[in-house]
Amino acid sequence: MVELVPTLLRQELARLAEDDLRLDGRGRWDGRDVDLQIDCLYNAEGSAKVVMGKTIVYAGVKFEIRTPWPDRPSQGSLMCGAELRPVAHRKYEPGPPSPQSIELGRVVDRGIRESGCIDMESLCIVPGEKVWGVMIDIHVLSDGGNVFDACGLAAIAALRTAVVPAERFDVGEDYTLKVNGTPIMASFTRVGGRYVFDPSEEEELGGDERIHITLGDEGHLHSLQKGLRGVFTPAEFAEIFEVAHQRCSELRKLVATQEGN
Amino acid sequence: MSNGQNGAELRLVTPGMAIGPSAGMRVGSGALAQNDTIIATRLGWVKHLNNTVSVDPINSAYMPRSGDLIVATVAEVRNNLWFMNINGPFQGLLPMSLAPWKVEFGAARQHMGIGDVVLARVQEVDECHNVVLTMKGVGLRRLNQGSVHSVPITHIERLRGEGNATIQRLRDACDCRIIVGENGKVWVDGDADGIAWARQAIDLVHTSGHKKSFEADLSALENNAPKNGDA
Amino acid sequence: MGGYGDVKLLRDDGLRLDGRKLDEMRPVTIEAGILPAADGSAMVTHGLNVAVAAVYGPMEAHPRKIQRQDRAVIDVRYNMAPFSTSDRIRPGFNRRSREISKVTAEALESVVLVERYPRSKIRVEIEILAAEAGTRCAGITAASVALADAGIPMRDLLVGVASGKVEDIVVLDLDKAEDNYGQADLPVGILPNTGEIAFLQMDGDLSPDEYNLAMEYNFKAAAEIHEIMVDALKRRYEGGEN
Repeated sequence: MVELVPTLLRQELARLAEDDLRLDGRGRWDGRDVDLQIDCLYNAEGSAKVVMGKTIVYAGVKFEIRTPWPDRPSQGSLMCGAELRPVAHRKYEPGPPSPQSIELGRVVDRGIRESGCIDMESLCIVPGEKVWGVMIDIHVLSDGGNVFDACGLAAIAALRTAVVPAERFDVGEDYTLKVNGTPIMASFTRVGGRYVFDPSEEEELGGDERIHITLGDEGHLHSLQKGLRGVFTPAEFAEIFEVAHQRCSELRKLVATQEGN
Repeated sequence: MSNGQNGAELRLVTPGMAIGPSAGMRVGSGALAQNDTIIATRLGWVKHLNNTVSVDPINSAYMPRSGDLIVATVAEVRNNLWFMNINGPFQGLLPMSLAPWKVEFGAARQHMGIGDVVLARVQEVDECHNVVLTMKGVGLRRLNQGSVHSVPITHIERLRGEGNATIQRLRDACDCRIIVGENGKVWVDGDADGIAWARQAIDLVHTSGHKKSFEADLSALENNAPKNGDA
Repeated sequence: MGGYGDVKLLRDDGLRLDGRKLDEMRPVTIEAGILPAADGSAMVTHGLNVAVAAVYGPMEAHPRKIQRQDRAVIDVRYNMAPFSTSDRIRPGFNRRSREISKVTAEALESVVLVERYPRSKIRVEIEILAAEAGTRCAGITAASVALADAGIPMRDLLVGVASGKVEDIVVLDLDKAEDNYGQADLPVGILPNTGEIAFLQMDGDLSPDEYNLAMEYNFKAAAEIHEIMVDALKRRYEGGEN
């Protein structure tokens, strides 16, 4: 279902942008409060719940034993998928995964995979025969804007709590999955002509294109995505890239704090 | 508060819950008679008025009634009519003949396009929920500026207040024009500070319109109103 | 049902493995209005099961061919999250979830006053986040709280409960081991005020007497859960006076 964009909403967003204001009173680069819970799902081997404003997302990690690819006999695999199910908003319709769901899952997947935080060799059980397949499934329960950042955060936080269920599969003792790093996504949407961080539902409705940046611990880029209709300039990117560094390190600290508890 | 309950004990009921014996009582909305008992069909407050038992729902979808003043958004344009999103289960239909302009066949789009917001009235609703709107009438028009907000249908009375006292207080506090549509859409127009304040006030109706603390919360917000100069 | 097995499900003291009495249900908690984007919502934890329900509508029924001129249709989707079970479930509808969605929709259509909304659709989304036997019942309970929260008119709430049989003994509210290795499972949806039944499934082996006892247990549990449902709905509007 395509949502109706009220002309007045776009007008208001443009007018607010002139005074560098936002609908909910936030500054241009301010995020909403983030509530992160880890280890919150009983049947998942690792799990996290993220609440950001009206957005609620769960991520769960499951493991399976599979045969390695012939060209990489000692490497396991990682897969991350997301579903924007109809529970999350009236705009989502039932059916096979939508292009939006697939994009969302793949952008999160790339950020985690390319950061190298999981050593695929460490997922090998018997070379050429048995390796671990790690699957992160993200479930969006409520879309109140910026599901990308919520999904990215939930996915890495869940992965970092994961315990490999070796006993259940009869291949040794359970152990904590080794995760080297905390890749974090920061998303920006053009609202009223200029980019803002962490768009709300209304800002997404009345806004334009979006840019997602995933940064690793060292501040290196691991995944980029531009979505929706619109264009941007290198100068604009440079500006949000600066902000992304700050926001990502704040969120990385939040993950560490939760893990410390 | 303004429901003629004056001191009577308020009872929150859930669907299926017995309210009382049906003998000698009329059954109003949100309730039905089953055997000798009146039961609630909705989550809400029991209301006794002139021998009628009803339940004031705590949450409700907008069900259009003829005569309702509403804030609607154009969803689709045809040669001779507009389909409007009216925040209800069904779209409303505005025929060319009930538009405020002389519209030539095929020229509907020149007057209003998708996403445009209007002030309209419900002309007619039939049994099958077909809704016809009109824009012929005093004040009915396309809204070219300002912003649109939402309140729960069940809190509209709270936003208006007795004799429109509350809504007038809001208008005075933020120096904005405010029109409350029966469909839970509220149009606000004024300067940026005024609209920003009105947004907070309407959010307050959303979150605590059903609470006892509403009056106090609203007064606190009024102290921060743009017109008080210390916003 | 897994059938008769060597797995011991009752202890020597007559209690069940988790220490419950035969007619004791697992702890249940309910919270209404947890999803800000939905018109109504609820989360039910029943033992280790976690079910979330969202209600959207009434809205115009699409596609047109599903429209009923005289009433609303209820469109239920029961879905288990991939991480809700010990072995991951592939995302998407399967035969089991389709069947449960269908009979749940029909059960809810028996309590919702659907004739109030001709040609419309009420969407009910049930998501299982954690499963430990009894998810369809937790889903029914969550769905009916979410419908009430959305302000949809209903003749009654609907409570999902199940009883079953383990080691030839009827017990209330099977947990995972009892469900896997027990002899029967009888999940029902009960209208707590009228005492009617809107949802019924059963598999396994029950004698007529055992069926009667299982149903008696179900009604007892439904009354307990109903109180928790009412409490959840009232709590949501605490401090209210209208």
